[in-house]
Amino acid sequence: MAESTYTCRWCRMSTPAADLTSCPTCGAPVDVRDMVSRSGWYELPAVPDMARLQFGSSYCQIEGAYVPVADFNLAAEDSVYFAHHVLLWREPGVNVSAMSLRGGWKRLFAGMPLVMTQAQGPGHIAFSRDAPGEVVPIPLQPGTAVDVREHLFVAATGQVGYDWFNTNVWFQTRDGDDTETHYPLGMFMDRFSAGQQPGLLLLHAAGNAFVRGLAAGESILVKPTALLFKDTSVGMQLHMEHPSGTWRSWRSWGERYLWVRLHGPGRIAIQSAYDHFHDPGSNLYRTSPATVWRW
Amino acid sequence: METAQRIECQWCRSQNLSTARTCDTCGAPLDVRNLVSDSGWREAPRLRDMTEFHFGQSTCQVEGEIVPVAEIALAQGDWVYFEHHVMLWKDESVAMSVMPLKGGVKRAFAGMPFIVSLAQGPGRIAFSRDATGELVVLPIHPGQELDVREHAFLVASHSIGYSYVRIQGLKNILFSGQGMFMDRFLAGDEQGLLFLHGYGNVFERVLQAGESVLVEPGAFLYKDASVTMTVETQKLTTGLFGGQGMNLARMTGPGRLGIQSMYVHHHTD
Repeated sequence: MAESTYTCRWCRMSTPAADLTSCPTCGAPVDVRDMVSRSGWYELPAVPDMARLQFGSSYCQIEGAYVPVADFNLAAEDSVYFAHHVLLWREPGVNVSAMSLRGGWKRLFAGMPLVMTQAQGPGHIAFSRDAPGEVVPIPLQPGTAVDVREHLFVAATGQVGYDWFNTNVWFQTRDGDDTETHYPLGMFMDRFSAGQQPGLLLLHAAGNAFVRGLAAGESILVKPTALLFKDTSVGMQLHMEHPSGTWRSWRSWGERYLWVRLHGPGRIAIQSAYDHFHDPGSNLYRTSPATVWRW
Repeated sequence: METAQRIECQWCRSQNLSTARTCDTCGAPLDVRNLVSDSGWREAPRLRDMTEFHFGQSTCQVEGEIVPVAEIALAQGDWVYFEHHVMLWKDESVAMSVMPLKGGVKRAFAGMPFIVSLAQGPGRIAFSRDATGELVVLPIHPGQELDVREHAFLVASHSIGYSYVRIQGLKNILFSGQGMFMDRFLAGDEQGLLFLHGYGNVFERVLQAGESVLVEPGAFLYKDASVTMTVETQKLTTGLFGGQGMNLARMTGPGRLGIQSMYVHHHTD
């Protein structure tokens, strides 16, 4: 008799279906129905407390509900890397070292972490971020990659490649002789990819996380600081809107809303709690390629 | 003769009637299994909304789940003490006074509360902190001593003695993320109840004698006085840029250790 398999609705991985309560690859619960808004956003199911995510010979256990902890039990041959300040605790036997990154000056200038830290098994090491929210596990299949907004990365397994790129979403304002450049998405984004082997990437979403797929040519406007991740095939561009009834002069464009326009094909994910991005509202001088709409 | 069956609370070890759903001493649910990670951390019990439990002649009710409130109905003659800024509301009848503290100048210098307030029954008074987290109810048994990171303390019953300990060693003071002092709570001849607020989720682990674990200093919440703490710095170098230092607190048993998952990250150069 053929063995039945379970295909996770979130990560699409198939596993033997015996006595599963959560997906062994990404931790998504198997016994809850999909929560999809009428507008098409799929609510990321919270990983059940104490669920285990398997990778290589190791696994990661998700603990807690408000500010979940990712507790890795690393086998001797497995490693993870992580942003410097997310380490919660570790066993003394876990070996920790620095992973050098290219473009140090640029990263320093952009406020991104200069050092990624890697931990080699055997032993336990655990991570958490400093805001209520959800751990978002993203299993990466060979040849796939995702782009992640800066400072949302928690940890990735050693098989996952790390790179970063310029977002090219910016605008400049001018006040007298002072010119200021603003980056609503941050100057850079992280890119994580799997080469020959699958890997596991963990992000932290502040609040709740929602995902949707965009068809080719379909676009949506998103608050820049709410963007969590996107497929590399999804394009992005600055978009500005000016409400009607606001005062404008030759010096000022008046009130404006800043958006990032995301256009498919591919997945995008957002978080419901986001930072406020300060727009001084002063005279616009130059922008990256952008669209503008005046109501 | 029929013997009354009892259930032992797995969190505070108090005995409860077999019909109880929550512990009468600490409020922990008695009908759910413990959540223990494979690495040995036990999640602090998540107190059910509107759970009631008792100390002295008074009753405490826990309200809410995301930022829980500890509402205490103080009986005549019972009193509690707390940090100045955690009081949410109170009945007019609840009398207020302050607890005299020794070392006031040192405390003010170290950023610890200069005044610890007292509230005396009868009447109701409620407490909460200002962030998502969990209420951690810790009965302190006679002779026990517990060290708590500063500003994690919410409220304590009158039978618990309050003191503070200076953190030993300049490196520990500078890099442990605790400041210069920790609160110390101790029970004399009578059991008392201590309430902490942990940011995010709270986990507890019992360390054996000589066993140690390295913890982000900002995540430390409480420990038995028998657990020692020393800060270790690991330099992470990346050639031209010099790298960064990583400070971790080595906590060594024997005793309990509590941590919080949403922590203050302390800057390292």
